[in-house]
Amino acid sequence: MATVDKKYTLTFWEKIYIPELVKGMKLTLEQMLRKKDTRQYPEERWTPPPSFRGAPVLVLEENGVERCVACGLCSRVCPALAIDVQAAETADEKERYPARFEINMLRCIFCGFCEEVCPEEAIVMSNRYELAFTEYADAIFDKDALLTPVAELRPRLEYLRAHR
Amino acid sequence: MADLKENIAEHIESGRLKTDELILHMGPQHPSTHGVLRLELVLDGEIVVKVIPHLGYLHRCFEKHAEAMTYPQVIPYTDRLDYLASMNNNHGYVLAVERMLGIELPERVEYIRVIMAELQRIASHLVAVGTYGLDIGAFTPFLYLFRDREYILDIFEKTCGARLLYNYFWVGGLSHDVHTGFEKEVGDFVKYFRPTLTEVNTLLNYNKIFVQRTANVGVLPADVAISYGCSGPMLRGSGVDFDLRRDDPYSIYDRFDWKVIVGDGEVGTLGDCWDRNMVRMKEMAVSCDIIEQALASFPEGDVTTALPKRIRPPKGAEQYARVENPRGELGFYVVSDGTANPFRVKCRAPGFVNLSVIDEISQGHLISDLVAILGSIDIVLGEIDR
Repeated sequence: MATVDKKYTLTFWEKIYIPELVKGMKLTLEQMLRKKDTRQYPEERWTPPPSFRGAPVLVLEENGVERCVACGLCSRVCPALAIDVQAAETADEKERYPARFEINMLRCIFCGFCEEVCPEEAIVMSNRYELAFTEYADAIFDKDALLTPVAELRPRLEYLRAHR
Repeated sequence: MADLKENIAEHIESGRLKTDELILHMGPQHPSTHGVLRLELVLDGEIVVKVIPHLGYLHRCFEKHAEAMTYPQVIPYTDRLDYLASMNNNHGYVLAVERMLGIELPERVEYIRVIMAELQRIASHLVAVGTYGLDIGAFTPFLYLFRDREYILDIFEKTCGARLLYNYFWVGGLSHDVHTGFEKEVGDFVKYFRPTLTEVNTLLNYNKIFVQRTANVGVLPADVAISYGCSGPMLRGSGVDFDLRRDDPYSIYDRFDWKVIVGDGEVGTLGDCWDRNMVRMKEMAVSCDIIEQALASFPEGDVTTALPKRIRPPKGAEQYARVENPRGELGFYVVSDGTANPFRVKCRAPGFVNLSVIDEISQGHLISDLVAILGSIDIVLGEIDR
């Protein structure tokens, strides 16, 4: 049964109460003067470090062609079966391109395996972290939504080269 | 409080007060069940007669799911078992697979793994102690502790790219090396963090109200703890000196000089809620010790050299690997049938086993004490339901 031994008795200073009160207020004041750890979020945006694994995107080269060669490795390695690729042939040097490339962002678990396995560095984890949808259909990112200019992804690509 | 109970008992015995047992469901949407757990309480007035936990609200079929995945693909799913200690979960699973394959790890990998696992232990205990205070009614320490946890998560984020579900430990190594400046950041954090433990002790753990709510409540005797298979702070809080990091050494824990924290019944009985909570507090300091020693001898090197090209353990190979998770003994039993997918993955979750003791230790307590007991077990429903 819950009974507490009354081992603890108040000392004289604690009985006066005021010094204890001052002690408490001192702690509060110290905390008030500390560096603020909060961020006023919608106004103050946060910039993720290059290591950040945000939403996966497809790299769009400067000439307006995607890097992806539709090999389907990302789709095979995805533990959550979020990626759907359909290949087609092209007259370009790379011979194949994805006719359809969809990532279901409701399934994606941001593990980064697709990025790790990609032989062309064509799919990378971007720094996009604000992913809210109002409809299921909006959550399925197609090529239009995924293709991101290579300039935007430069920090991440450099980070990958340095660390892998 | 004791007088009240005696009074009630006296009334009932004399037949002046006729009572009937009441069944009350606590949860699944209850803030102090720490997730989607439903407790079926059989109550005699305000006194708990029986507690029946109903699990499964967060069941995600981890073990069956793992059979359809390749070995590396299971790692992100282990993240999601005990989502407050993802690093430790990764560690348990990759250890099992590495032992099946017989992989020798580079020194640097082992050091990074230990540092990460200990940082994760601190982060997990910070949540445990913080939310425990919240359960009891102390709001401020919760905010302080979560603030400190953010610093750990920031380090993790810079290294692994995620704040909660890291997928960082891979079979045969790590997904990638730590970021530049990692050692300094961790060292700075440990230096900053130690004094805050004293602060939390004065604010929360030796606070009179907190002591009255937790001391002598939910006493778990050592023999009961052992017979139920409890592990982690739950077992050590009852005075049993057992820690897998020392007693079944894995990774490189045997190289460091640290001591296992055991509860001592400082303010109440040995094995009460306060002891369990205090074991967590002291373990954070021990984790700091281990991290400091690991940083002092942090080797250079490549972390990806031992990553195997193909992960296919030989047919019939089976392995049980256990690690000391913040909540206790986390074990993964992996069986191979020679293909790229595991034949069977069994997860021994510490929270699941620790929770089973709740009926035994909360009988005869008030409902409000039940909240204190449940908080002191420090459950994470992600691993209990799996």
